[in-house]
Amino acid sequence: MNAPSRSPSSRRRFLQFSAAALSGVALANCRPQIADPGGNSGGSGSQNSLSIYSWSNYFDDELLSSFTAETGIRIVADVFDSNEAMLARVQAGGGAAYSIIYPSDYMVQQMIELDLLTELDKSRLEGLDRLLDQWQNPVYDPNNAHSVPTTWGTTGLVFSRSRLNPAPADWDFLWEQQSQLNGRLTLFNDVREVMGAVLKSLGFSYNSTDPAQIEAAYNRLRELKPAIASFTTDGWRDQIVTGDLLVAMGYSSDAIDLATEAPDIEYVIPASGSSLWTDTMVIPKTAPNPEGAYAWMNFLLKPENAARAVERLKFATPNQAAIDLLSPELRNNKNLFPPAEVLAKCEGIAPVGAATELYDRYWTQITSA
Amino acid sequence: MAVSPSSASTPVQTSSPSIANRLSRLVQPLLLLAPAGVWLLLLLVIPTLMILNISLIPGLRPGEIPGAYGLGNFLRIFDPINLRVMGRSLYFAIGTTIICLLLGFPVAYWIALLSPPRWRNLLLVAFVLPLWTSSLLRDYAWITILRPTGVLNSLLGAIGLPPQSLLNTGTAVIIGLSYSFLPYMVLILYASLEKLDRRLLEAAADLGANARQAFLKVTVPQTLPGIAAGSLLVFIISLGDFIAPELLGGASSMTIARLIYNQFLGATRNWGFGSALSMILILAVSLAIALLLKYGDRDIESY
Repeated sequence: MNAPSRSPSSRRRFLQFSAAALSGVALANCRPQIADPGGNSGGSGSQNSLSIYSWSNYFDDELLSSFTAETGIRIVADVFDSNEAMLARVQAGGGAAYSIIYPSDYMVQQMIELDLLTELDKSRLEGLDRLLDQWQNPVYDPNNAHSVPTTWGTTGLVFSRSRLNPAPADWDFLWEQQSQLNGRLTLFNDVREVMGAVLKSLGFSYNSTDPAQIEAAYNRLRELKPAIASFTTDGWRDQIVTGDLLVAMGYSSDAIDLATEAPDIEYVIPASGSSLWTDTMVIPKTAPNPEGAYAWMNFLLKPENAARAVERLKFATPNQAAIDLLSPELRNNKNLFPPAEVLAKCEGIAPVGAATELYDRYWTQITSA
Repeated sequence: MAVSPSSASTPVQTSSPSIANRLSRLVQPLLLLAPAGVWLLLLLVIPTLMILNISLIPGLRPGEIPGAYGLGNFLRIFDPINLRVMGRSLYFAIGTTIICLLLGFPVAYWIALLSPPRWRNLLLVAFVLPLWTSSLLRDYAWITILRPTGVLNSLLGAIGLPPQSLLNTGTAVIIGLSYSFLPYMVLILYASLEKLDRRLLEAAADLGANARQAFLKVTVPQTLPGIAAGSLLVFIISLGDFIAPELLGGASSMTIARLIYNQFLGATRNWGFGSALSMILILAVSLAIALLLKYGDRDIESY
């Protein structure tokens, strides 16, 4: 959980995660059917099945069954709950079965550096030109050479409108209202997101590698410590509804999800900027079924498929053609698709190289003080 | 003639089973121990040696070329930041052990000595029942109980007492850990108390000891190995637990288990340092077990 793991709603919540794990079991039960001789008698079983390693909330039955109906390929899905856990498994050799993996932006960059990813054959992909400009040439993977962006979102502050006055607008709010927040604020259990937010509040980059800036952020975070109830990426949902918490750092996807259940809950992207995350699809070098992997990518690049997935699963898509197909209500949801001027201030979390150790050291210090 | 072969064959016959005996005496333990031995070798000894190997390479990260051997990882453990993390882990573990002992002994004593015999097994099962649920679930339950508007404060409010803010404190962690591991303590103490020689208690009473003296001078010394074993087990498992500190401990909840986790599955991916921390944990636990074997067993034999 300390890992910079991020993305939509449910995937970090334990209960939903276990539900997802169960559905993983259910999906795994497809295996005997995959090996069923009733399928392609000539081909090997692996051409008829596609193993995907992903965050838990990017699938539902409808998506999988429509893919199988269209291509005849069955999906075997496993889920992970942090990029680092996924990487550790892949590096330990446990990822050989997967033809598609869903790493986040900075992890794509890391996996490229570790030479784990196949360079994509663009002639086999249709619809990359429909992506929003922002994702045509992302920093983490220039020209999308190894990855196809599939979902994105932001980090911000979640709060209960009726209990909090004034409403937060920027990170500075946390320090200004510290006495009000006393022990009723949660920040992520993720050193980069938390330190990044503090860096932003000081006017620095989310991805600063300057030791002086990082130290300044550490000192400012230490000031805020009495107000912090705990560092948790997903444990704030129930407690913000009950009023035990007043403000929580949260992912846009979690906030949107919660707001549908509790209308009093609001989400704001801090004015000085925040983090903008992207989850992607990649093909590992060890992929047993690259054909199937391209089929899956093309399936999700089709605007109508992407739009239907967004409507059901409530994540933001970088696919302009899919956005055009959405209902106006979803398309104009400012939390799901923030205005360009807000996004312009947000940064993607990027690897910070040797400074990682420094961040980690301050993190150990702040969480053990 | 009829005698000599038989007399000649007799020593042969007696010697051949004795060889077979000796052989079987050699083979039998081998056969019996082999599965467990192979298991231990493959899944405990070799992995531990691998961890030791990794721990001796400073700053080793997967996917990078390993540097030279050195003690850098172990030296880093003595950084005050890391020592403080270990101090907190020890505080949680020792606190939990003491609470479990204080709460567990009366319960085990009552079940073993005072409760109706036919109910004993049922009582034990009832006590162990919480272990059947996931520890994650148990700690989530404690969040519901301890949070500011939770069950505890509703109850306190109803009887006119001031609300307590326990969630996200060290106290909450020790409550969660103690609740989780109390059944282990009770089981072990029960096993020890059940064997208590009650004639000694009668003798103590006959010789004029009052209840308190009899308890301190007869019951406690006899159950000392059980107390040691139970305390040690609770100490070891609470030292390695990170669910309770993570969920209940609030903003200052870093423990050694979590620190190790961060080295392997966190952003730094410093497997070398993580392995060194693991080795320290393994060493501490082994030391504790060695102490138990040395002092615990001797007492058992003296009965």
